[in-house]
Amino acid sequence: MDVELIIDGEPVVAPEGSSLLTAARAAGRNVPGLCHHDAVPANASCRLCQVEIRRPGRDWTQLTTSCDYPVSAGLTVVTDSPRIRELRAMNLRLLLRRAPEAPVLWAIAERLGVTEPLFAPVTDAPLPDCILCELCVRVCSAAGYDALAVSGRGSGKYVGPAFGRAAAEDCVGCASCVEACPTSCIAMEDTATTRRIWGRTLDLLTCERCGRAITTKAHRETIDPGIGHKEDERDLCDACKKRVVSKRLAPPGR
Amino acid sequence: MSTRLADAPALARRRAALAGSRDPERKVLAVCAGTGCRAQGALQVVDALRAEVLAHGAAEEIEVRATGCLGFCQASPLVMLLPDGVVFQHVGVDDAAEIVHSTARGDLVDRLLCIDADGACNTEREIPFYRGQQRLLLGASGLLDPTSIDDYIALGGYAALVRALEIGPEAVLDEVKRSGLRGRGGAGFPTGRKWEACRKAEGDLKYVVCNADEGDPGAFMDDALLEGNPHSVLEGMIIGAYAMGAREGHVYVRQEYPVAVERITRAIEQAREAGLLGARILGSDHSFDLQISRGGGAFVCGEASAMMASLEGRRGVPCRRLIHLSERGLWGRPTNLNNVETWANVPQIILNGADWFRAIGTEGSTGTKIFSLVGKVINTGLVEVPMGTTLRDIVFGAGGGIPAGKRFKAVQTGGPSGGCLPASKLDVPVDFDTLVDEGSMMGSGGMIVMDEDTCMIDVAKYFLRFLAAESCGNCTSCREGLACLHDLLEDISEGRGTHETIILIEKLADTVESTSLCALGTSGVNPVLSTLRYFRDEYAAHVNEKRCPAGVCKALITFSIIEERCTGCRACALKCPQECISGEKKQLHTIDPELCIKCGICRDVCRFDAVLVQ
Amino acid sequence: MSDTEAIDTIRAAAVLARYPRRDPGDLVNILHDLQAEFRYLPEEALRETASHLGLAPTQVYGVATFYHGFHTAPRGEHTCTVCVGTACHVRGAARLLEQVERDTGIGAGGTTPDLSLSVEEVGCVGACALGPLVLMDGEYHGDMTPERLSRLMKKALAAEEGS
Repeated sequence: MDVELIIDGEPVVAPEGSSLLTAARAAGRNVPGLCHHDAVPANASCRLCQVEIRRPGRDWTQLTTSCDYPVSAGLTVVTDSPRIRELRAMNLRLLLRRAPEAPVLWAIAERLGVTEPLFAPVTDAPLPDCILCELCVRVCSAAGYDALAVSGRGSGKYVGPAFGRAAAEDCVGCASCVEACPTSCIAMEDTATTRRIWGRTLDLLTCERCGRAITTKAHRETIDPGIGHKEDERDLCDACKKRVVSKRLAPPGR
Repeated sequence: MSTRLADAPALARRRAALAGSRDPERKVLAVCAGTGCRAQGALQVVDALRAEVLAHGAAEEIEVRATGCLGFCQASPLVMLLPDGVVFQHVGVDDAAEIVHSTARGDLVDRLLCIDADGACNTEREIPFYRGQQRLLLGASGLLDPTSIDDYIALGGYAALVRALEIGPEAVLDEVKRSGLRGRGGAGFPTGRKWEACRKAEGDLKYVVCNADEGDPGAFMDDALLEGNPHSVLEGMIIGAYAMGAREGHVYVRQEYPVAVERITRAIEQAREAGLLGARILGSDHSFDLQISRGGGAFVCGEASAMMASLEGRRGVPCRRLIHLSERGLWGRPTNLNNVETWANVPQIILNGADWFRAIGTEGSTGTKIFSLVGKVINTGLVEVPMGTTLRDIVFGAGGGIPAGKRFKAVQTGGPSGGCLPASKLDVPVDFDTLVDEGSMMGSGGMIVMDEDTCMIDVAKYFLRFLAAESCGNCTSCREGLACLHDLLEDISEGRGTHETIILIEKLADTVESTSLCALGTSGVNPVLSTLRYFRDEYAAHVNEKRCPAGVCKALITFSIIEERCTGCRACALKCPQECISGEKKQLHTIDPELCIKCGICRDVCRFDAVLVQ
Repeated sequence: MSDTEAIDTIRAAAVLARYPRRDPGDLVNILHDLQAEFRYLPEEALRETASHLGLAPTQVYGVATFYHGFHTAPRGEHTCTVCVGTACHVRGAARLLEQVERDTGIGAGGTTPDLSLSVEEVGCVGACALGPLVLMDGEYHGDMTPERLSRLMKKALAAEEGS
């Protein structure tokens, strides 16, 4: 059910219980945040999406992360203020310890007026540039593979294959994690026939018509061929598939 | 006896039978078998006393009993002669014969009595350590064998449960609410209100959980209660479950306390056999059972949502709780979580009434509180005092002040997330609200005394290191922020700190406090903020003069040998791991400052106090 | 699967048989029992646990490494545990750890290459009055000094060689 709330003085309509960050962004507010993806549950790890909220009937405001805060009727939200910027800037500097070079961080830094890192970078992280947001693990788990583990804790936390192994044995190479990763720190390398990712080398499936790589064979084996597709249309790339299907569905005589 | 107690009269009959079979005049040598005393050989003392009693043919007149913690760890191993309450301290295996023979004659062993300013103290009540205490919870630990349910029943155990079943769940809830009991785990939330919310919550299956994951370093109150009187905790939980309509429960206990795990496991088995746990307890409609869940060694699991995650077999990562635990907790069901000491208070409240309880302590903080008084204090141990007792009464009264004539510097309360209070705050009454006002907190009751040799920057650094290692690692502000705060403190302790360092510490602490999810982050900055508030001059000395006034921070101190005191005994030179102390026998020794790693062993071994640290 | 792995699997299965409910809520308790059996958590045992409880191996590994009480690498024959609780800290626990490192070359959390000794720190063992405190193979030693600790470790390790 849609409800009305106030974001930075403007009335906004959003689904009740949905992420406040998503609602604020939909309303055109530029709230920074790196660990959120609407497809997976929030874990509010990066702490950049802090906003100030006031609940109806309350005469005080509170700071909260917006990604994991549910939209409710009558909520008053402030997404930007000197105080909010100050806190975001400090948390950003803390994230810079993990990914001192990441362009995505420096883009936010620029908006917040941060020009120097302030803290010495972490040099012994198993996965350089990883900000430990766990998005890769969350999307992998949501896709049903659970190939990646969150291990350790505190500043010793890390993501990657379990059991200290070099390869994530259950990884099928779907590359969801690569797409989800905010700092692009997950290495993936495709050749004409293989994909290297998380220590594995997987065979690529190529389009039967044009020869372009579609995905890995291992990934293909785990997914539904796709509703509405005929058996012989399975192993085509999106472009060729479109062509074949539109041909098939086109009215006769054209 | 393992017979099931069918109903309340059966329990009364069991108690009467126990009373009839036990001679109240029979002397009992109660040997404290708490963790501290065990570490000092208490179990060997038990064996020696038992052997001596047998050898002396005194088994009829004297019973030797291994009890729970008597609290006075400083005097360990400790033996209390009952029923008179005479305390023998530092008892060794060699003393067994003399104790047994004297006891049989009706005499005391004078040389083992505690001595205070007025001479020897015969009984517990006369000993300064115990004088100001009101040991409502701990008292029984010294009287009973914690592995015996009969001992507990003989002392009136489970009578509160009977009364609860008589008056009904609403009246139980009302009594707890009126008592003003507040959670002993740290937050001080009114227990009755928590129970009421859980009672009102909808759901056919509800849980009660006992938080025995006492993670504060320097605190062992809950350990002592679980080891010393496990049935009192169980009874509290059974009563609470009755009031809230819960059928299942968990005891989440820290795995570093193996004896506590063993005792509570055994107590649960005994209670089941006796029909005090399980279906239709004492013939009533109340059914409730408990299981033990061992913690895995994570301080953050003391946080409610992290504990639920751990109980559900997940990583102990706290999560945002928009709906209270009492409505949606463990496995999404209404759940009540209270700490060990809170549960242990419940039977007394039900038995003696809310008004009795309210009369103890202060208006806002009722009852007693157990503190673990440790660190640089003469009498270390567990102290149970009415709420509102001043820090001075605890540290200098029960605690007897600071050893070796040193000056008191601070007392740290509230665990790692608490704060350090200076001498000017010694007359502050210890209750939930006052401590928060002063920049610290009650926490679970750890009280660590520090003297002039304690460096407050080192203390703050210690807590930050602990907290950074215990952070679950989810929130950036906590995971990275606490680690950076620690590094900044290290800069100060290693002489690299400047005025800017202090400003940055304050700014960073503000962010960690304001933007972290759970209390580990939000109050994790307290050790820094409270030391900055009360000991700013010490920070200034490190930063401006590059000097550590307490002589702790290695980069800022040097070791040297005082010429007038050195006898040239070679003790230090022989033990120096760097072999950097030179000097012939009976000649003045010197330390090579280039090679010295400031390990302090020379100072330890010097019998003439000739090693100077400055 | 190697022979040792096969044996680990069988031993783990015997532990898991004690948890017929297959309730994921038992995971931490199971890990404790497995560690009591193996003195650490071998990979095969964790995999068995995952399949017993219907969890992903990555999840089980994540839990096992979250809690400091669990070890995923083999432990030394002897364990020297230094209590670093606050009370022990203000009484000099850090100096004890330094001594251990000087003597053995390993710090907290480490194990000597010959698997003779593991060094651990623990937050608090509830014997604060006796600080600084060391547990040598689970046995309490209070009021410890660096020098006494040195002797204590030597004694424990020598006993091993003699047997």
